Amino acid sequence: MIDIPGFLRNSRIRTVDNTDNNSNNGNPEENNSDFEVNDILNFYTEKGSVADPQSMTFSISGEDHTLGNALRYIIIQNPEVEYCGYSIPHPSEDKLNIRIQTTENTTAIDAMRKGLEDLKSLCAKISETFYKANRDFDEKNDIS
Amino acid sequence: MKKSKRASTARDHLEVLQTRVVVERDNVSSISSSDFPFHTSNRYPNHDLAEKSRNKIIVAIEKKSQYDMEFDIIGIDASIANALRRIMIAEVPTMAIEKVFIYDNTSIVQDEVLAHRLGLIPIKADPDEFDFKQSTEHPTDQNTIVFKLKQECKRNPKTSVDEKGPLYINHNVYSIALIWEPKGDQAERFKDVTIGPVHDDILIAQMRPGQKIELEAHCEKGCGKEHAKWSPVATASYRLMPEIILKEEITGDLADKFASCFASGVVEVENKMVDGELKKVAKVVNSRLDTVSREVLRHKEFEGKVQLTRIRDHFIFRVESTGILDSEKIVFDSLQILSSKCTMLLKALDIKLKEKEETETSQNNENAMELDA
Amino acid sequence: MNRETYQGPQGGPPPPPGPVNQATPRASDTAAKMLYNCADCGAENEIRPKEPLRCKECGHRIMYKQRTKKMVQFEAR
Repeated sequence: MIDIPGFLRNSRIRTVDNTDNNSNNGNPEENNSDFEVNDILNFYTEKGSVADPQSMTFSISGEDHTLGNALRYIIIQNPEVEYCGYSIPHPSEDKLNIRIQTTENTTAIDAMRKGLEDLKSLCAKISETFYKANRDFDEKNDIS
Repeated sequence: MKKSKRASTARDHLEVLQTRVVVERDNVSSISSSDFPFHTSNRYPNHDLAEKSRNKIIVAIEKKSQYDMEFDIIGIDASIANALRRIMIAEVPTMAIEKVFIYDNTSIVQDEVLAHRLGLIPIKADPDEFDFKQSTEHPTDQNTIVFKLKQECKRNPKTSVDEKGPLYINHNVYSIALIWEPKGDQAERFKDVTIGPVHDDILIAQMRPGQKIELEAHCEKGCGKEHAKWSPVATASYRLMPEIILKEEITGDLADKFASCFASGVVEVENKMVDGELKKVAKVVNSRLDTVSREVLRHKEFEGKVQLTRIRDHFIFRVESTGILDSEKIVFDSLQILSSKCTMLLKALDIKLKEKEETETSQNNENAMELDA
Repeated sequence: MNRETYQGPQGGPPPPPGPVNQATPRASDTAAKMLYNCADCGAENEIRPKEPLRCKECGHRIMYKQRTKKMVQFEAR
């Protein structure tokens, strides 16, 4: 990927600690501190059902339709995924549930991981394409 | 841009349903995307589509000024387009006035209304240079920008009653009256940029002689989902590219009528040789300008001759900045934020798995010890 | 506490008997100056306790007390 100027140096939404700002080498993704990261995500098999690595519900706090629908779309692109859907159980609760059921060939956790990685590379691809289009437009129209 | 074409064969019809949203007289059909594995009408069943969809993305900038741009993203799903739009509106951070300390306000604008109005003024300051201020934290030069406003209205001594001229001095309080007060190393850090309201002529309050406003305002970093004053955009929106499919040639006076059914510039009437005679023929020249008003579907004479569609994966974005950030930066930031959400969740996933593993091994060890005993 | 032992806010030992010392300033002199605005002409007036309520500029008898100089904090929402 090309280096894109004007990128957020500090992209985290819930940043608390920026003391390690100087240690990052211009890569925004190395800057994430471990702040409360483990409280953001939970995953479990439904209560009462047999523990099954192929079907799981992921509960993510602090996210909404923005990530929920995009992630659902990306995960559903995986042919090993039999079912993926998301819901926001209650509008006044800052919580997002994503349900994944897969074939025997993979696990729900791996499908989730693949989905997140695919969404990341999709974002990278769009920003790269956007950056090129933007640069070309500027060159064509003499904008510095 | 794809040209309108005749879609008469069954195969063409299927392609329309796969790639277009069809706008009919009373309803919209073929809305949902079928681009996922095992869908009956999917062109590539049983493939991992994530990579495929990544490689066909096209971006084209249509119009651009510093704070306003229109661009197309072709080849993404509505969920991705919508995520970007939602992030641009609600999750790209900016600086805005959050706390107002009022020392004196004898104008007729109540204190809370005045504070609210100040909050909505776009403040030109690079949000990347500042930290989010947690409610437990004290304001520092890293998370707060301070503005002072002090203005008193007086009678204009130079203008007597019968003369024309301004009766009052400092009668209007404009945003330019907000004076930035650099704290700590801010004067040094921002010596090359101007920090202050984006527009100097936002009317905050009006006063009469003897009235006075004196206050201090603290700007903090925040996101639009907390309060709309932090939203970096006046609006960020997308629409699908309209496409008008002509199934039959429309000629003669009907061509003029046909053209008048669309926004100006969408359909043009050309003179063309048909069977040895010169005829007027309607031609779609720029469907982008169309509002998809469906006027053409109201007329019996065009029934079956035209199909109004929108291209399902061609998004026309419009990003209007409030003037704090350049519009292109808002787009870059939104992509970066979406990507960092994934990074964060990947990290959380790893941490959770590790925790789980540790508890399981410790449990196993306990069990083993019990067996030993 | 019963009625007899209660001392009002003005309580305390009674002033010592004897002639009033004219050199000690009256309470009204030392009191923080209070500014009022005339309801008619808007002029600023400084009025002390027991002084007649009249505008020095126009003689109007209605006055408005000025806003407190205490700072108040608001959330800009």
